[in-house]
Amino acid sequence: MAEDAFESEALSYIDALYRTALRMTRSEADAEDLVQETYIRALRFREQFTPGTNLKAWLFRILTNTFINAYRKRARQPQTAELDDVDEFSLYRKMSQDTPGSNNADPEQEFLDGIVSSEVKEALAALPEKFRTTVLLDVEGFSYKEIAEMVGVPIGTVMSRLHRGRKFLQQRLYDLARERGIAALRTSGPRPD
Amino acid sequence: MDCDDCLQKLYAFLDQELESSDRTQVAKHLEGCTDCGDNLAFEERFLQVIRDCGTSDVAPVDLRRRVAERLRSVVPPPTA
Repeated sequence: MAEDAFESEALSYIDALYRTALRMTRSEADAEDLVQETYIRALRFREQFTPGTNLKAWLFRILTNTFINAYRKRARQPQTAELDDVDEFSLYRKMSQDTPGSNNADPEQEFLDGIVSSEVKEALAALPEKFRTTVLLDVEGFSYKEIAEMVGVPIGTVMSRLHRGRKFLQQRLYDLARERGIAALRTSGPRPD
Repeated sequence: MDCDDCLQKLYAFLDQELESSDRTQVAKHLEGCTDCGDNLAFEERFLQVIRDCGTSDVAPVDLRRRVAERLRSVVPPPTA
């Protein structure tokens, strides 16, 4: 790869690297440091990169390794406790079973339309450490095999972490939507007789 | 394949990570099962929302500038 091509392609992944670092570390300052460290290492070891292979995956592997080695111990932990029964949660079932007050014929779509971007980001950052990195790499579009290589676990482990992580997100977003609904009711106040 | 088997493989199916024999079996089950089909459609839309919202952040301008400067400052290896 020509010098300029390596650098300009590497720079094109900075947004993806930064938002992943932000959710890994839960700190803007740490995320910036982690991204800078990732690029420093990428430049130091660039001879190890094989031109024509996936540069984005290579950079994310460096990011993940750097995080695991240097940042994970001091990353702020989420306030939410890990849910024991998260595996069993199905938002689809929940939507078709209890949709109090909904007159909509398609409560699933109504729910999806109501999801707020900031809530998704909050839910992603609240993912338990055990499966957070796997979910973040999936969100960035990596395959099971690529994630397995980056995190250093078998593909079966990636699949189970993704399953649990997605169920956790569903539970979290469902809870946030309920809180939002309750808050809206409170704001509107009691209806006059 | 019953509904439990289908749900077990739903994510791998959506992620296009199933081997072709499993993929065919899931697809066949989905053709005849409205509930699993609706479930799949919901999960697909849910994952799309997560991806859309989860990939909307951009790096701070100052960080981008610092990284770009570092990338530019690298001295290319000497050519023969």
